[in-house]
Formats: sequence, C-alpha cells, structure tokens
Amino acid sequence: MAAGFKTAEPLEYHRSFLKENCRPDGRELGEFRPTTLNTGSINTADGSALVRIGNTTVICGIKGELAAPSTDAPDKGYIVPNVDLPPLCSSRFRPGPPGEQAQAASQFIADVIDGSQIIKKEDLCIEKSKLCWVLYCDIMCLDYDGNLLDACVVTLLAALRNTQLPTVTINKETDLAEVDIQHKRHLQINKHPVASSFAVFDDTVIIVDPTAEEESLATAIITAVTDEDEQLCAFHKPGGSSLSAEKLQDCITRAVARHREIGRLIDKVIESTKASK
Amino acid sequence: MDAVHSCFKDKLGQAVLPGDVFSFAVSAVEDSAVRAEKVICGPGLRRNGDEILVCKSGILRHKAPNLYWIDSQQKRYVPVKGESVIGIVTAKSGDIFKVDVGSSEQASLSYLAFEGATKRNRPNVQVGDLVYSQFIIANKDMEPELVCIDSCGRANGMGVFGADGLLFKVSLGLVRRLLVPQSEIVKDLEKIFPFEMVVGMNGRVWVKAKTVQQTLIVANLLDSCENMTAQQRQTLFKRVAEGSL
Amino acid sequence: FVEERSGVGSVLREYGSEQNLLSKPDGSASFIQGDTSVLAGVYGPAEVKVSKEIYDRATLEVVIQPKVGMASVRERAREQCVRETCEAALLSTLHPRSSFTLVLQEVHDDGSLLSCCLNAACMALMDAGLPMGRLFCGVTCAIDAESQIITDPTAQQEKESRALMTFAIDSKDCSVMMSLTKGSFSVKELQQCIAVSQKASERIFQFYRDSVQRRYSKIL
Repeated sequence: MAAGFKTAEPLEYHRSFLKENCRPDGRELGEFRPTTLNTGSINTADGSALVRIGNTTVICGIKGELAAPSTDAPDKGYIVPNVDLPPLCSSRFRPGPPGEQAQAASQFIADVIDGSQIIKKEDLCIEKSKLCWVLYCDIMCLDYDGNLLDACVVTLLAALRNTQLPTVTINKETDLAEVDIQHKRHLQINKHPVASSFAVFDDTVIIVDPTAEEESLATAIITAVTDEDEQLCAFHKPGGSSLSAEKLQDCITRAVARHREIGRLIDKVIESTKASK
Repeated sequence: MDAVHSCFKDKLGQAVLPGDVFSFAVSAVEDSAVRAEKVICGPGLRRNGDEILVCKSGILRHKAPNLYWIDSQQKRYVPVKGESVIGIVTAKSGDIFKVDVGSSEQASLSYLAFEGATKRNRPNVQVGDLVYSQFIIANKDMEPELVCIDSCGRANGMGVFGADGLLFKVSLGLVRRLLVPQSEIVKDLEKIFPFEMVVGMNGRVWVKAKTVQQTLIVANLLDSCENMTAQQRQTLFKRVAEGSL
Repeated sequence: FVEERSGVGSVLREYGSEQNLLSKPDGSASFIQGDTSVLAGVYGPAEVKVSKEIYDRATLEVVIQPKVGMASVRERAREQCVRETCEAALLSTLHPRSSFTLVLQEVHDDGSLLSCCLNAACMALMDAGLPMGRLFCGVTCAIDAESQIITDPTAQQEKESRALMTFAIDSKDCSVMMSLTKGSFSVKELQQCIAVSQKASERIFQFYRDSVQRRYSKIL
C-alpha cells in the first residue's frame, strides 16, 4: 500500500510524513544522515578521502603537479577542482560531457576554495614566477542519493588535510627543480569550510540533508558554507521558492552547528590514521 | 458586488504587472459562495482564493457587468476555444488535416468539419492552403481541434480562402484592436482604398487589394500601426491617401 | 527607450531598458546597468523535444551567451541560477508539454552581470506574455576591504571586493529567491546585504512598472 502511494503521489507521501515532523527514512526534519569518513583511500594520489552521507558516496583524489605560475599572479599556485557525476552513480546522469549539475557543482567548489581561502595559493608557490604546485582536486560521486555539495566539501577538506607533498627546491646552480620524495609535508590548511544543505518543501517546511528523492520534490535547495570563525564562505540558493531573511538565518544557525559536528569527525579520523601509523 | 468592483476601479485602464493582487474586502461581502460568481476573470487574471492575481503585464480592462481582463501585446498565440484563426494546412493524414496556427502544437481539422462535406464528398483542401476556422477543442491538456462550420453546419465565412493576396503576422494586441466592432484603424484604412481583409485571432492577417502594390501598402500600414497613437496614425494615413508616400 | 537617472547618494547605477526590440522572438528586452548590458530573447510556448517533455508543466531552457568565446562552466552555473529563479516565477503548469526558451546575450560586462541578466530575463518574460505569479529582480552587492557595502558594483569594484553576492528578490514580499556568493563574509554582513538588496529592489520594481506603463501608454 505504502509503496503504491509513494509511487503515485510522491509529494503527498512526503507531506504526510512532514506533517508529523519526521521523514520517510525516520529522520527528524533537522537531522543529518550518518556521516562516515575514510582518508588516504587512494595510494597513488597525494591525498584522498572518501565520505558517505547516508547512501551518497563521494571520493576525492588530490594530485600535485609542478608548473610555472601565471604571469599575472607570479606568486600563486593553482587549485583546479573538478566534480564528476558518472552514469554509475545514478540513472539520471548520462554518459558524455558533464551535465549542468556537474558543471554547477564544479563551479561551486571552485567558489568555495576561492572564497574560504582553504589553502593560500601563495603557499603553493615554490619560487616566484618560476615554479609552483598545481593541485588537481578530482571529486567523483560513486553513489548519488542527494546532498552532493555537502559531501563534496567534506571530502575535499579531508583529502586536502590528508595530502602530503614532497619538498621541492630549485638548485641555484643548475636552475633545475629537485624533488625530495623522502621528505613529505602536509599542506597548510588555512580554513575549514563545511557545507550544509537544506531543502524547502511547499515553500515553508525546511529540512536538512535532503535525499535525491527529497531534492527532486523540493521547491528550493539552499547550501550554506561556514568556516570555524562562523564566517560564511558561500551562501548558494539557485532560485526556487523565496524565503524571508529570518528563515535564511535559521539555516545559517543550523549550518554553524553542523560545522562543529563535521569538524570533530574529520579531526577524529585524521587523528586515528596518524595513530595507526 | 460593489466591493468587488471597487478593488479594480482605481486600476482600470492602467498598466498592471504580473504579481499584482486584487483582494476584495471580505467583510463587505457576506456570502462567499455568491461572491465567487460575481467576477469573471478573462485572459491574464487568475483567481486564487479570495484574491485575483495578475499573471500578464498589460492594461486592465472591464466589460459590464463583471468581466475583467488584461489587454497585452503578446506575439505568441495560445489557442482558446471559440476563437477564429487563420491556419495553414501542413499535412493530410487519413481523416484529418494538420493545421499550423502558430501555437505550440499543430491543430487537427477533420475533413468532415466543412460545409456540405460527407464521407463521399470530401472537401478540396491541399497542403499549403489557408483555412479560416474556429477552435472547438482548446485546452492545455488536449490537442487543439478546429472546425470550419458553425453549430448549425453552415460555413458562415469559414473554410479555405486566399487564392492570392498576402498573409502576414502582427501582434495579438493589434489583431484585437482590428477586430473590435467599429475598429478605428479599419475605418481609417478603408478611406484610402477598398480591400479585402481576413483577421485571425492568432495574429495572422490576410489582405487583398486591387493591385499588388496596394496590397503591400495596406500590409505595411497595418504593421506600422503597432506602436502608434491614434493621432500619429491618422496623419500617416492622410499622407498615404494624398499619395505623398 | 526608457532611461532612469538614479538620484544623488543613491546606490544603483543608471539603468534603463527596452522591451520588444527584436522582431523574431516572442518576447525580448534589453537591460542596461551602468556600462553592463544584456539582451534577452524569449521563445514560447513552443513545441518541445520529446526527450525534454514534462507532462504537467512547461520545460524552461536558459542559455547565457558570453560576449566572446564559448559558454564555460561559469555560464552553466549562472544558467542554473537564472533558470531556477524563472521557474519559480513562471506559472509553467498552465502550458504543459511545451517549451520556453530564454536566451541571454551578454553585450558588455562592467560588473553585476548576473543581476543584469536576471533583470533582462524578467522584462523579456513579461514582454512575451508568459503567465507569471510574481516578478523578480537581481541585485549585486560587493563588500570592499573596508567592509563597506557597494550595491551594483562595477567590474573594478568587483575585483577589489572581499566578497560579492547576487540576490534575486521576489516582488511579492521582497524575500530572497536566489543567492549566489563569492568570498567570505559574516552572517551579519549577509543579512545587511539582503536588507540593502531588498531596498534597492523596490526601485527596480517601480522601474519595471514605469517601463510597462510607458510602453502601453500608446494604446490606451
């Protein structure tokens, strides 16, 4: 019966749960799905992390390459994020060039990196106007069940914290770069941004951490990115039903609380991997 | 009743924008069931509970006793039941003709929907012909359907037309101004020289005058009426009539 | 051609707009804010590709064309924002199984391009006579190094800013329909920018009204 109801009237089905202040998967309106994190999952990458929020699984690999800095910013390195949504992760994505959602997510991650200054691009410079690091941050979704942006930001932050780059010096005499594989060091993480997404149902009810089904039925999606100083690094709401400033404030307050939860989780995982070594 | 009208009164004949709301004072009208029947929302207006919502930009118009609508300058036609349009036959398939009326979907026209047509006596309609016809089915969920007969089975002016002459498109607002009984534009135009004209609600106008040159003049004049005040129009027409243009 | 001069000490640059300036599209509009200029064209309701057909509402497609070169990831992200904002304003259930296409051509970018796109889009949708439940307008705010809020910044001001936010404001209750930000800022700054944008939106909505009034004054 319930399955038939869900198929025929998905919106009505969700409404009947929301009326009782709960959701079809048993969560409360303001409850996130269980989040698990694993770092260093890819041996061949300089840094990596895999995160699961409920069923949504996202993996991030960081690869460092050496390049010459651009002429208009000779003391800065590059960070190149890319979000990939392969057909593997959901039937809604088709093979071929990246779709709108993947491109919008890539742009969002790029904006978060720029906005939060997660890593100072100056830190990636090895020798001014000669040599710098390019960090390729490839984020791939393995299982899509909503709330992609939150998962992407968590996995990006964890992967960057996991990243170790070899020390590189420029030999003064030969003018060539010398890479010392033996001495690797961690990146200087400047800020710790964490994203929290919200879905709006029927223009009024706000729920956190929407699943794919909830996303498709929602009238608006909001993503707020906060850092440890309670500054916002992004406040993204691509259209949808309009919300008053007070409602937006509620979302931000919840996002700040979420930042603490995720901050603790990442710290714990990083600590435990260090301890196991 | 008065309360309903008074909420519209000060906006009548003025430009309104989508999102504007007319709400009538509930206290002034006692019975809500009666109130619901007091106003008829024409194009561009929608009822939403106790409010009337404007959903197109244009001028608020009123027709006694209780009809209100928005007069807008739209280009794209959306079929409405009962409206007469000029269609172009694009295909014949079995029992029906496919007719392009300039809307999002092609309309269908049964070959039996012509005066005097029977299963044996098929009307002579070719692909590319112009038909002046009326919508019998037009709603958002169904394929629109045209007929070339009225409810008594008479052609009543409808059917294939336009062996020669010129077909062109104007805005839907201009078409409505042309179709107003005693339209001033038509009256002014008739003074210049005689011509035949067919005007469809879908923005298509067909004209035919004595010579090709005169046909073109009429077409160009109609086109230029789009954004002219009555005064500008009359001076232009006068100059044309005097042969200075 | 309608143009409005913003008063002394006001926050928006000079802005102007023209509706129905292209002959082919069903609706068109240009919008100019200072030196930023966008041209918008709307087609619809028109026939829809079977693969994109939605059974209970119209399909909206938004294309943003940059001044030079091909549309990049940045344009895609903007298209998404404009599309979802328009979808919320349009009553697309009135035209099921049909398509609306909105094409936005950047003519010149001197800052606040996204808000200019939103304003041009709204004017063009109105011009096309598509059914809408509300209007929207775009306002861009920049926060400079001294934490001053600049509305409708120029490209130079955008470059020097610490944070940049663009909002789409709803005409019904002046609430926020869309938000896209760059840079980092405090919650208080966000709320201030929203308040400033809401204030500025009233002027833009009044401008919409004046433009439409002027346009229809000829056939009164």
